Amino acid sequence: MFSTDNNDNLVKNTSYKVVLPFYLYAAISFLVATILLLFSTSAFTQHYFNPKTLAITHTMALGWGTMIILGASHQLVPVLIEGRLYSNRLAYFSFVSAAVGIPLLVYGFYFFNMGWPAQWGAILINAAILTYLSNLVVSMVKSKKENVHAVFVFTAALWLLLTTLIGLALVCNFSDIILPNDSLHYLPLHAHIGMIGWFLLLVIGVGSRLIPMFLISKYSNTKLLWFIYTLINTGLLIFIILFLYFPETSFYFIPVTSILIALFLFGYYCYCSFKQRIRKQVDEQMKISLLSVMMMILPMILLITIIGGMLFQKINSPLVLVYGFVVFFGWITSMILGMTFKTLPFIVWNKVYHLKAGLGKTPNPKDLFSSKIFGVMWVVYLAGFVLFIIGIYLADTWLPKLATLFLLLAAVLYNWNVIKMLLHKSAIP
Amino acid sequence: MNVITNNNIKCTIALAVLQNVVDPEIGLNVVDLGLIYQIDFDETNSKIYVTMTLTTQFCPMGESITGAVRRVLENTFAGMELQLELTFNPPWSHERISGEGQRFLNQ
Repeated sequence: MFSTDNNDNLVKNTSYKVVLPFYLYAAISFLVATILLLFSTSAFTQHYFNPKTLAITHTMALGWGTMIILGASHQLVPVLIEGRLYSNRLAYFSFVSAAVGIPLLVYGFYFFNMGWPAQWGAILINAAILTYLSNLVVSMVKSKKENVHAVFVFTAALWLLLTTLIGLALVCNFSDIILPNDSLHYLPLHAHIGMIGWFLLLVIGVGSRLIPMFLISKYSNTKLLWFIYTLINTGLLIFIILFLYFPETSFYFIPVTSILIALFLFGYYCYCSFKQRIRKQVDEQMKISLLSVMMMILPMILLITIIGGMLFQKINSPLVLVYGFVVFFGWITSMILGMTFKTLPFIVWNKVYHLKAGLGKTPNPKDLFSSKIFGVMWVVYLAGFVLFIIGIYLADTWLPKLATLFLLLAAVLYNWNVIKMLLHKSAIP
Repeated sequence: MNVITNNNIKCTIALAVLQNVVDPEIGLNVVDLGLIYQIDFDETNSKIYVTMTLTTQFCPMGESITGAVRRVLENTFAGMELQLELTFNPPWSHERISGEGQRFLNQ
């Protein structure tokens, strides 16, 4: 009647001890980034290659975005590869190495000390990423199962390693000339491999698994995901070749178009998942996550405008700053704000109630944080985000300061809810 | 919600207590979700055989849900040993959700 398998079918969850430090570190980094922003808002009215801007960008990209994604990724590896994470020790090493490296690098940028702090910071970050990649590869090999989501994550990790290796070279290039051009020249290469290769690929790989899962959707389309995967990677490879060998600005529309099509197709994938959902009611966290998918289009529009301006030999510095801000404080932050409150409650719930389920009434995972504070955080964040963009573009001095206060408040509220979850005690004796 | 059984009375009791096992993400119990495929009772050897599934093979709450099913049934049928088999063949589909479950999800 039924083909009965054994309980090896169950996903083997990664220990919460591995995952939670990444979440906590990321939450603190978000707070630190908004504090740095508060003291450096004037940097956003100057050229984008500015020590303070670099420090804030790397706090957001590494401390906030990458650390939380690494944490969630360690948790989700079993779900994605249908096997268990190979080593918790490697995951701990990855955390410690990145946790020490990121502040060193940020310190180096903020005070523009590109000597040992920045160099050792970059080395430690590379060690963390290499360890993460090794852990992922061995986990995948041992699982012996292959699926499109796992390939997305693996490829994203490869791009991340390339990003951090280029980053290390750029840092070293400040003190010893090791590259043909100055570090500023390679900044677009470093930034876009990180944003497209790491963040975008990973978000689509993981999102395409989690969004239908959380919506309890009947929709599935592996062929479409493979097509999206090909479009993004081809686009990124074309961009790298163009950047290094054919820096004719008009050609950049080719990779941008390829990635834009991929984004629209992923939007279509999410839309189909949403339309074919079994559960009609969609919670706030999912709404925000779906909104962040739509927000991916905003940086692409800005990028097209920037390239358009470059055709006329005019780099619009405020627009470049808005573009960077929209990527890190917009798309990536909104996605994390949504997904944190979708994934972390489950991790904590599993930690506290895993052995108590069925013994009494347990709270739902969504009850582990305050939904009121979550709602206020979202409104305050959105206000800060919009005001800051207007402030940068108008080269205004007080508007970005006011906006940063909103963002700082959003970070405080986010931390409050995260810590509330981390400190949750069992409701069942 | 068709559950195969060799003992209708005990199966009814089992399904009643399994209504206390809720999928924490969906908020719906495993019976109305249609996760339970078969419950057989072996009185001679004091064993209960449960065949069930999950909404997705990659459900991160899988261990919690199967653990809760085990605890609830072993508490209810004291002295009987539970053998739980997890299957994804046939996979779970939304057609297995009960009318009550459908109403809950359509809210």
